[in-house]
Amino acid sequence: MIQTLRQSGTLLGFAAILIFLTAQLPDTFLTARNLINISQQLSMLAVVAATMTIVMVMNDFDLSVGSMASLAGVVAAVLFAAGFPVSVGLLAALGVGLLGGVFNGFLVSVLGILPFVATLGTLTVFSGTAFLISDGKTVFGRDIPASFSGFARAGVEIGDVKIPFLTLTALAVITLCWFVLEQTNFGRRLYAIGGNLDAAHLAGIRVKRLRLIAFALTGLGAAVAGLMYAARVASANPTQGSGLMLDAIAAVFLGMTMSRQGEPRVLYTLVGVLMLGVLDNGLTQLRVDNYVREILVGLIVISAVATAAVSKRNTQS
Amino acid sequence: MRRLEFRNMCKAYGAAKALDAVDLSLEGGQVHALMGENGAGKSTLIKLLAGVVPADRLTAMVDDTDIALISAQDAQRAGFRFIHQELNIVPQISVAENMLLGRTFPRRFGFAVDWRQVHERAQEALAFLGVDHIDVGVLAGELNTGDRMLMKIAAAFVSDPVSDERALLYVLDEPTAALTNAESKLLFDVIARLAATGAAVLYVSHRIDEVLRICDAVTVLRDGRLVSSGPTTETDKVQIIRDMTGRDVSDTYPAASATPRLDVIVEMNDVSAGPLSGINFELRAGEVIGIAGLANAGQSAILKTFMGLHSVRRGLAQLQCKPLPRSPEQAWQRGIAYLPRERRSEGLMLNMSIRANITLPHLTGLKASASRERQMADVLSSQMRLKCEHLDQPVTQLSGGNQQKVLFARALHGLPNLLLLDEPTRGVDVGAKYDIYCTVREASAKGCAILMTSSDLPELLGMCDWILVLHNGRQAHKLDCDGLTSSELLSHFYEDKAA
Repeated sequence: MIQTLRQSGTLLGFAAILIFLTAQLPDTFLTARNLINISQQLSMLAVVAATMTIVMVMNDFDLSVGSMASLAGVVAAVLFAAGFPVSVGLLAALGVGLLGGVFNGFLVSVLGILPFVATLGTLTVFSGTAFLISDGKTVFGRDIPASFSGFARAGVEIGDVKIPFLTLTALAVITLCWFVLEQTNFGRRLYAIGGNLDAAHLAGIRVKRLRLIAFALTGLGAAVAGLMYAARVASANPTQGSGLMLDAIAAVFLGMTMSRQGEPRVLYTLVGVLMLGVLDNGLTQLRVDNYVREILVGLIVISAVATAAVSKRNTQS
Repeated sequence: MRRLEFRNMCKAYGAAKALDAVDLSLEGGQVHALMGENGAGKSTLIKLLAGVVPADRLTAMVDDTDIALISAQDAQRAGFRFIHQELNIVPQISVAENMLLGRTFPRRFGFAVDWRQVHERAQEALAFLGVDHIDVGVLAGELNTGDRMLMKIAAAFVSDPVSDERALLYVLDEPTAALTNAESKLLFDVIARLAATGAAVLYVSHRIDEVLRICDAVTVLRDGRLVSSGPTTETDKVQIIRDMTGRDVSDTYPAASATPRLDVIVEMNDVSAGPLSGINFELRAGEVIGIAGLANAGQSAILKTFMGLHSVRRGLAQLQCKPLPRSPEQAWQRGIAYLPRERRSEGLMLNMSIRANITLPHLTGLKASASRERQMADVLSSQMRLKCEHLDQPVTQLSGGNQQKVLFARALHGLPNLLLLDEPTRGVDVGAKYDIYCTVREASAKGCAILMTSSDLPELLGMCDWILVLHNGRQAHKLDCDGLTSSELLSHFYEDKAA
């Protein structure tokens, strides 16, 4: 009973937020247009949070995702500006994401540096690199090809609603992460590492290699999100991804309060993302001050995690 | 001199009686040894004295006056001091700070720590024990094991200007387990000084020679009961070993069914690896070899060598005519199954399901198959007579014995060539123990070669064909179990072949 209550507490909170916003904004909140708008706004966060879940399954973190997203966007934009075709820019950005992720994985699993320290270090490295190659300026206007930025504006028309490509991309990434974590032996092994790293090692799991791959995937996800962001705003600057990291970790934590043993699961992470996105959208419409919004989001994450922690302690004792 | 009496000490964990009406009387100024095999109840007794575990029944008296002994504070107030086997020191801070840890540090100007006085008080305490070769200014982590132990003991003597109560009893729990001979010698001098203050010393040790040399009296426990208690002058080594091991064990082990086969699974020829040296044996399919010795003599290290966790420095080490695996993953692939010593920290993913824990080393291919896993877990767990509600239950909800069965189920999938068991029945109740023995027998009858460590000597004698005895990582004896008694085996722990 307490277990169920603990697991559903966050969902109840989410429901309360939805009811409150629907009541406050009867004409604008629960409309197809607004919901699609929300889905597009949070698609980048969804991608980063879903791939962040992969490392958090092993009790690791990646603090560098935000600056990696910025770096990937900048790499693509700089190549576009230099006249390279769109495909080259995209591949280079994804390649940078993968390499950065492998580097994080190398620091954490091969050298054994704490993920917090290692990725805090790469956070500044990636961010500095983004400033260096963009010269600290925003790349925009004619330098960004229309075929690139057009992707963010286009979508699939179903009846009279248009599902944006960004939303679909996010859905694809989430599905992929869900498949990898829940349906493959690779995912099983990552959960085992999170359950007990030493035991997993002694049971023959190649802990080092798997941790490295997981970090690489998270880096790749961050690069995808960076490209989506650059396409959406049709420009790239070295700080535009910086908000993603804290929100992504917050979303995973919100999701963890919903699972049986408090382990991260992709679909629950998605609920966390939706919660943050809906709140953001609603509060903006209510013209709540931006700073107040940040305070609220922080308090919600803390109260969700605190409720889960307290009720877990009560069930265990 | 003060006299401490503890009467009728009883403590049961569930149905298992860890201590059953044990009496202990200690004289001030005397060193009293407490001996017994693992599981005999020594550590439970110490926990009762320390007040960290509530006794079911216990009368404690100091000079015929009853005292309460319910909490750790009671024990502290009564003047009982404990020096534990596991040294909890803080390596990053100085010796002086470690020694004053948990007390109020002397102050200057009301707020600043008076470091000079901290050092002086630590120095005084060390000097009192005659071990002032230890520099109070160095980091505790830089001390060797012996000095750490001495530092910890000396910490009990740091004078406290506020409450200057005198200790009545010092309890030392296997203090020499990790010490060299020279370090032990220093410790014995310290123990003599402790007794000279008029306090009683309760000295827990496995080492009989040591006990006979430095102790005035000895109490032996076996299976939670008092076997003997008296002055050391009235007993001897043979008698103590008999008291420690004398249980009747004839029927508690299933009989070996098959004679070992001919094919050699493991060959070790003068192997050095990790802390080990001079390891020499041959293990055939269906054979069970036990590894024994005093605590931490390298028993686990032998098993870990087969998991690729210690690399072979010298000698010939082969598994089925090939070099040993270089990592746990290679080991599992080559049919080695391993049951680690610490089941909670090294074996299980406690919050994960029984199914996930059993199938982990055996996942193959890319796509996970819940049905195949469930089937595998189902077969293995029923084979192990695992008691659980369902296989998706987290293992943390199982009893120690059933958790161990989960690890056995994991190890026995697809019948390994070599089964490595590190203390397979540690913390397991009697019923589950018997199930585990049967499982080991079955595996060996099917041709699995088995290496096991145990600190339970009758268990080794009941299960093994051969026993290797280690002294500080070196193989000192290889004994045939046929006709061997616990007392003989135990005496080999102390005697070198050469001596």
